[in-house]
Amino acid sequence: MARYLLRVNGERHEVDVEGDTPLLWVLRDELGLTGVKYGCGVGLCGACTSHVDGQAARPCVRTAADGAKTPITTIEGLSRDGNHPVQRAWRELDVAQCGYCQPGQVMAAAALLARDPDPDDAAIEEALRDNVCRCGTYPRIRAAVRRASRIMREER
Amino acid sequence: MISRRTLLRGAGIGALVVAVPVPALAAEGFVPNVFVRMDAAGRITATVPRPDTGQGVRTVVALMVAEELAVDPGDVALEQAHGDTERFGAQGVANSTSVRQLSTPIRTAAATARCLLVTAAAERWRVPVAECTARDGAVHHPRRGRAPYRSLVRAAAALDPATVPVELTPQDRWRLLGKTRGGRVDARAITTGRTRYGIDSRPPGGLVAVVARPPWIGAVPDTIDDAATRALPGVVDVLPLIAPAEGQGGVAVIARSTHQALRGRDALRVTWRGGTPTADSRAWLADLRAALPAQSPVDGLQRVFEMPLLAHAPMEPMNATAHVRPDGVTIWAPTQDPGSLRTQLARQLGLPASSVRVETTASGGAFGRRIEPDPVLEAVACSRRAGAPVQVLWTRADDMRNDSYRPMSVHRLSAEIGPDGLPIRRAHEVVTWPLTVLPIFSNPALIKASGDHFPYSVPGDVTVAVRPAPLRTGFWRSVYAGQFVYAEENFLSEIGRRSGLDQVALRRSLLPAGSRLHQVLDKVAERARWSRPPAPGTARGVACLEEYGSAIAVIAVAEPSSRRVLRVHAAVDVGVALHPSGVRAQVEGCVVDALSTVLGAQITVREGQVAQSSFGDYRWARIGQTPDVDVTIVPSTAPLGGLGELAYPPAAAAIAAAISGDTPVTGMPFGADVG
Repeated sequence: MARYLLRVNGERHEVDVEGDTPLLWVLRDELGLTGVKYGCGVGLCGACTSHVDGQAARPCVRTAADGAKTPITTIEGLSRDGNHPVQRAWRELDVAQCGYCQPGQVMAAAALLARDPDPDDAAIEEALRDNVCRCGTYPRIRAAVRRASRIMREER
Repeated sequence: MISRRTLLRGAGIGALVVAVPVPALAAEGFVPNVFVRMDAAGRITATVPRPDTGQGVRTVVALMVAEELAVDPGDVALEQAHGDTERFGAQGVANSTSVRQLSTPIRTAAATARCLLVTAAAERWRVPVAECTARDGAVHHPRRGRAPYRSLVRAAAALDPATVPVELTPQDRWRLLGKTRGGRVDARAITTGRTRYGIDSRPPGGLVAVVARPPWIGAVPDTIDDAATRALPGVVDVLPLIAPAEGQGGVAVIARSTHQALRGRDALRVTWRGGTPTADSRAWLADLRAALPAQSPVDGLQRVFEMPLLAHAPMEPMNATAHVRPDGVTIWAPTQDPGSLRTQLARQLGLPASSVRVETTASGGAFGRRIEPDPVLEAVACSRRAGAPVQVLWTRADDMRNDSYRPMSVHRLSAEIGPDGLPIRRAHEVVTWPLTVLPIFSNPALIKASGDHFPYSVPGDVTVAVRPAPLRTGFWRSVYAGQFVYAEENFLSEIGRRSGLDQVALRRSLLPAGSRLHQVLDKVAERARWSRPPAPGTARGVACLEEYGSAIAVIAVAEPSSRRVLRVHAAVDVGVALHPSGVRAQVEGCVVDALSTVLGAQITVREGQVAQSSFGDYRWARIGQTPDVDVTIVPSTAPLGGLGELAYPPAAAAIAAAISGDTPVTGMPFGADVG
């Protein structure tokens, strides 16, 4: 066991875990951030997608020791009021079915729009390629990313 | 007049409580489900008797209650029912029945509450009931003004419901139901990560268990060396599990955290015995083929279709949390059927049902898999041993390799073709496995009833032969219709292609004029601009299905050379679409299932083990492979139909027909070796 200082959603947290503990389980089990979803544990499904240093990343394939190096944002910290343009677009277009993959989808979309505010379909599909949705909400996800991009443009 | 079976309670506490029995159980006597309740402050709470596995039943319940009580959906708090069939009726999410079976009782319960409130206001004002209307959470009268519900609750609860006529709000006056605006009631919780799924249940003092599972099908632990595991930090206990479900056994490692449990499992040294270490799904397929009768009853065109094993693979892997105490047990589980789960647990544990509490969590997809209780039984065994709450978590590989799979099947279709190129006689011979999770599903008649929905006027027989299942099989969205319809529609497409017939005209000519299928087929042909020739390099496929009280026709457009699906059109007649966005979502979801299973996802078995372990090798469709899906809801006077499974079989058939171009389809996935 070792102590790690993590910066998550703008707050500092000290955790006492084995250094090889996947960041996913640190966030979920130690910090109670259960919006970060376990789907595969090996970086294939994207359900846990969060932001590490502003980039979309998979906490399931990073360790607690990695996590201590850079600030982390989870779905719980994406916006103060739940009204990030991506979250609003997701609600406007009624994207979710079971909803389990959606925190990861939302975080992947938000990271994409932060670096490319006006992505075309190819860019959307590339950025979200490895975010699996087993309910099949992909057509609405694609439309919601376009909608979020428009909301951001209108409000700039 | 409301039914004598309608229950009102709470007059003594100044609250209004209305419950109406679910029709499925009404014959068994009074079923006092608490469906709608209004407290003294006028706050409305509705019970959602069935789990929401993504099909959107919570949203439809909120809309129905808000419609009948003339309030906003946001004014209706939802309470997810725990498992209790005596109070809530049948609670299983199965056979696309959630909304169909709940619509009348829940709307009646809410309408009863409204009528009682209106009557209470009319009596207070001494005016005729007919002059009063309910609107925006209050009763209104042209001269007397407005009385908020909260001011009427006590008086309404004191009325005798048998004296108050109840009318449902007629469809032409709906404000919410059937309207396109308005999304899922849980959307804010979902998009902010606050929805609590089964995996998020962690009662105070709770532990986590993961299970070392058989390295080949049917194996059970022989020797267990857990010394290294027990020496690890956080490991609390190691527990052999004796087949909590048929064909399953394993060794559970109980620890303080998920990571510690996973590490503990890695450190176990287990030897295994029994089972079938050489099993191979290619040999299983050959066995099914060999069981086809020597000769088909119909001479003519013939084609054999081979269908693969499929896994459910919901995004939330199997999990359950149990707390076994001396006086009872509490379960938190993303189950598809909390009521049956409770009954089964009570019987198995020798407890009265009142000592078993099953809390229904949100569920990260289900698709038929969560009808089964196996993760719950594992959690019960672990919690009993640990004397603390325990969550059993399946890894993705555990989930994919220990599923209750959709059965493999082989279909031989034969048709005698008439001089005009149309089939005049047909035969469909099926060889498949039973659903081992429900023994009555070894009955060929039941399998035929599940799969056979051939709607076209071609005389002939469907026969089903059942071979023993070599692994656990279960309910997978659409059940046997997925295999039967895929084979039948692709065979019909081949007949049409060989005869040079237009695929839509061919189907129209074989469907009764004026039928629901005729109408949806015409509508989808119009949406897909069928009368225009396809663009160069593209091909189209069409398929129909009437089932679950609904009808659908699907047209897919694809580029055969790249196997890229460009567009999918669907027209559905669901009777009444209570939540149109939800209707479209179910069709879109089925289309993605269809795309996935036609383009490449299948489960294979080699050396006794399922070869696939995650989304890298179980090739579910990704966003870039998924076209836009155009769903048209056709106006209808039919009763409310079911929808959750309707679109999968015809979408799979239409997509395969489109991507195959001129190549006959012989199985699923298209162009792949099956098994």
